[in-house]
Amino acid sequence: MFEHEVNPENIKKAAFVVAIPSYNEADSIAFPVQQADKGIQSFFGDIESVIINCDNNSNDGTKEIFLGIKTNTPKIYISTEPGVKGKGRNFKNLFKKIVDLEAEGVVVVDADLKSITPKWIKHLGEPLFQDFGYVAPLYVRHKYDGTITNSIAYPLTRSLYGRRVRQPIGGDFGFCGKLAQVYLQSDTWSEAIANFGIDIWMTTLAMNENIPICQAFMGRPKIHRAKDPGADLGPMFRQVVGTIFDMMIKFYPFWSNVKWSKPTSIFGFGLGETEMPPPVKVNKETLFQKFKEGFNSCGHIWKKILQKETVNKLQEIRKMDKDQFDFPTNLWINVLIDFTVAYRDKLWIEDELLDSLIPIYLGKTLSYVKKTERMSIRDSEEFIEEECIQFEATKRLLLKHWNGSKPN
Amino acid sequence: MAKILVVDDEEHIRLLYSEELSEVGYEVITAADGYKLTERIDKEKPDLIVLDIKMIDYNGLDLLQEIRNRFYNLPVILCTAYDTFKEDIKSIAADFYVIKSFDLTELKKKIEMALEANIP
Repeated sequence: MFEHEVNPENIKKAAFVVAIPSYNEADSIAFPVQQADKGIQSFFGDIESVIINCDNNSNDGTKEIFLGIKTNTPKIYISTEPGVKGKGRNFKNLFKKIVDLEAEGVVVVDADLKSITPKWIKHLGEPLFQDFGYVAPLYVRHKYDGTITNSIAYPLTRSLYGRRVRQPIGGDFGFCGKLAQVYLQSDTWSEAIANFGIDIWMTTLAMNENIPICQAFMGRPKIHRAKDPGADLGPMFRQVVGTIFDMMIKFYPFWSNVKWSKPTSIFGFGLGETEMPPPVKVNKETLFQKFKEGFNSCGHIWKKILQKETVNKLQEIRKMDKDQFDFPTNLWINVLIDFTVAYRDKLWIEDELLDSLIPIYLGKTLSYVKKTERMSIRDSEEFIEEECIQFEATKRLLLKHWNGSKPN
Repeated sequence: MAKILVVDDEEHIRLLYSEELSEVGYEVITAADGYKLTERIDKEKPDLIVLDIKMIDYNGLDLLQEIRNRFYNLPVILCTAYDTFKEDIKSIAADFYVIKSFDLTELKKKIEMALEANIP
């Protein structure tokens, strides 16, 4: 029988919550729950706390495993209705529960984490009791892990909203109870946000609310199901990028007044030597082929929505062989500017338009891989920082296109 | 006129920065170390801080964290002779990281960008 909520200890109030969203994570959820429990007991022992699993009514026994784990911290299981899926929908249930519990601080961690330690709970949670309202994670990631973040989510959110949050879709983060109310009352909810758009939506709303944001250094890399950037991106790309574009439309009055960017406070030192992340393999040939195939499958869309000179530049790099291949950052920025304006003006069917960005993004990723393959992680970070400054410097072009001309 | 606080334990650097930055219109005040730095910031209310990292008795990165926690949006530019401190995660709490040089073109550019930065 379906139960929306299981609250074995009948918890009515909790100042601190650790939440773990899930869908069919029976084989992995035990570890993060145990680490969360240790973290709460070690660092928040004097605060009323609870661990919440917000689930999509998994059919693999996630609920039973979660409730069966022995912890010193009470647990609550909440679920969407049978058949209702989406990470964002799990969060909507969570926001309601946080408001009911009158929680002051909430830490969210992924259910498939293998590298989480109790200190992650400390670092993501403590700043919430020290005047910060949103805590983003800062991990050392392999240079090819998180390429949507590196090429789109980080540079765009940074240049748009002015706050440097390196992992705006990190999956593990903290937020204050007040923000849960803001999220519940927001009129920007969409199907994309109800799914994988939720992380970037939460970060963007925090920035637009002028909530004090900090980044917590986790010390260990995030070990999770990292993917080859050339592998099928599926709907996740559409949901994340579509949410970024939707937020641009909604929050134009805010971002149009932002100039350059500002850093955040950093929390979480004293962890000893930083552990390096495992390597991520990239298939350069696949990236190259998918970029080139894009001209056949999406060329007609690009011609309609991109500036003529942008299309010409894409044609120019199409002719390069793989060894010469280079995708200049300013071309990538011009592509994104044209896509955002075309998305707002509904120049093409939304999903098809977002999908047509994928081959170009894969070309940009190939170029990034080639340029950084001999670089250390630190040097590749510097490379991304330089690209971000280019994004910020090109903002006046974005504003010009956004406020005026339609393409061609 | 923007007020810049230069924190550096080398006198010749303080003199050089005072002279060069004053010439382009900034009001410059200086500190030779990090002693009671946050109190000084409270009192003098600078618009931007140029902060050395390696000072006798003071670590600029620890001072940066103190500053950032108390003055959330105050621009801080780390200015150091050493490239290696970029490896320290704490350095990303700075607005910019500049390698010390007698040619202040880069520093002046970054000061301008940091002062222009605006979040409504």
